[in-house]
Amino acid sequence: MSDNSKDVMAIVDLFEQSDWDELHIELDGLHLFLSRNADARLSSGLGGAPAVAAPAAAAAPAPAVAAAAPAAPAATPMASAEPASGGAIPANWTAVTAPNLGTFYRSPKPGAAPFVEIGQMVTENTEICLLEVMKLFTAVQAGVAGKVVQVCVNDADMVEHGQPLFYVEKA
Amino acid sequence: MPIKRLFVANRGEIAVRILRTAKAMGIETVIGVSAADKDSMGARMADRAVVLGPAPSTKSYLDVKLVVHAAKATGCDALHPGYGFLSEKPELASLCEQEGIIFVGPRPDSIEVLGDKISSRDLAAKANVQTVPGTDHIVSVEDAKHAAEKLGYPVVMKATAGGGGRGMFKASNPAELEASFERASREAESAFGDSRLYMERFVERARHVEVQIVGDGEGNVVHFGERDCTVQRRYQKLIEEAPATAVPDDVRKRLHESAVRLTSTAKYRNAGTVEFLYDVDRNDFYFIEVNSRIQVEHPVTEEITGRDLIACQLRVAGGEGIGITQDEVEISGHAIECRMNAEDPRNDFAPSPGRITRWTPPQGQGVRLDSHAGEGYLVPPFYDSMIGKLIVRGTDRNDAIDKLIAAINAFELEGIKTTMPLAAFIVDHPDFRNNQITTRWLEDKGLPDYDKKMGS
Repeated sequence: MSDNSKDVMAIVDLFEQSDWDELHIELDGLHLFLSRNADARLSSGLGGAPAVAAPAAAAAPAPAVAAAAPAAPAATPMASAEPASGGAIPANWTAVTAPNLGTFYRSPKPGAAPFVEIGQMVTENTEICLLEVMKLFTAVQAGVAGKVVQVCVNDADMVEHGQPLFYVEKA
Repeated sequence: MPIKRLFVANRGEIAVRILRTAKAMGIETVIGVSAADKDSMGARMADRAVVLGPAPSTKSYLDVKLVVHAAKATGCDALHPGYGFLSEKPELASLCEQEGIIFVGPRPDSIEVLGDKISSRDLAAKANVQTVPGTDHIVSVEDAKHAAEKLGYPVVMKATAGGGGRGMFKASNPAELEASFERASREAESAFGDSRLYMERFVERARHVEVQIVGDGEGNVVHFGERDCTVQRRYQKLIEEAPATAVPDDVRKRLHESAVRLTSTAKYRNAGTVEFLYDVDRNDFYFIEVNSRIQVEHPVTEEITGRDLIACQLRVAGGEGIGITQDEVEISGHAIECRMNAEDPRNDFAPSPGRITRWTPPQGQGVRLDSHAGEGYLVPPFYDSMIGKLIVRGTDRNDAIDKLIAAINAFELEGIKTTMPLAAFIVDHPDFRNNQITTRWLEDKGLPDYDKKMGS
């Protein structure tokens, strides 16, 4: 676990013990948004605004975490990820959905950098992730041009056909 | 090892049917559906439903790897393929085996042997089960006459390289044979570039009779009696019944023995159906093929035996044995099933997809409905048109016929056209009531009579 992630986890712990409803931190390129409302989404306000899914599965009082730092790729604070649920998605965000059921991979191979990071600009043809079906890996293209604003799925999770994998803010 | 979590790799009524038994047995269930079936009855019944892919079956139900991946990723230890789709693809059975998932079906090698015409005939020969008597290549008229004497007229000459009815000539006596031999070989030559012919007994009046068996894979096989599926249109069964009362008892007994011998020789595992052609005029039968899956018409057998065949499949697959001995199989009463297809029998069976706006099925003793449809259900245009099966059980055949007609008349169904009115007409037809039908009856007599009655 990176130092950054450890810090984030520590902050999450403190937040859980507090009686606060929401927490925003902006520090050295790191944007952190915590909320007790699982449906809360960060849609604006944190310039360039990164968000990485919110864990919803957890028990009710668990904080929703939306954190990202260009330096600390997606990963860790997501205990579980939820496909973004309705209502909170801004109109200019487009979901990149899974073409079929499979296992989701953000990187071309284990240990390699992800295909895309939060905040990255993509075109329709940009390869954005891999879907694996019985050891057959297929690249998924963004299908839309814009900026990646959310990763909805944990690496190596099973996804279903039609499930949102990323949100892209249309250019 | 008994199955803990079952993946249902199918849709429609059979998915619902499998889920019903699995749940009753305390097995957890996961179903893989297409996007079109996301809100289907099967998806609602299963403990979990996952969407495999978009509506077209090639991208969902027919993708072997996708289906097995879904079963693995959802932690299933067994997979039931239902019927149709991938149920008789050896690739699915093999991949399940490789991935450590119990395939609720035969071993992959059995599917291959039974799915191939030549190898299944060889198996029948080994088990001393008769196929349609025939010859090897015939080279001269003299050979042909000699062979026909041995087979008994009528006979049919077929092109060795042929298929689809081309190059086939029937002969009822030596004079006809002489006249048609040259023609048959010339047509074979021009149609297939191969003039060689062979000869078979011609079955003038045939009935389709099949025996339901369950094998444990160790050579133990139990049969559950036979079914009669003679009412067919373009090889599609419309009405099925059990037992096959048109076949004499002693012949039925020999049918059962043949089916058991054949599948026992193959050390067959799973429920299976051994299909025979019953030759009405010769009072003899010939093996056609084994269907190595649960079949659409299995409920009529369940109704007259009181046994759950899906449960038998799940037990055998889980290595728990058949769970019933031959002595315990008792047959009583008579059952008839009518397939409910969303088709218009008055318009050449054109598909009739759409939304069901009214759905009040019949109820009562001896009436069973296997269906995934209901009021508000949208019959999708992507898959086969069957929306369910209506099954009745009566004390005897006449009682069952009356019950089926009453059940169909009581069924309030609006929004789509179905084949049910035709089914009621068929079973009420004197030829059906008198059990005088053959596999060609529906197309030659039943349908023309129906059109006449409906005034088209």
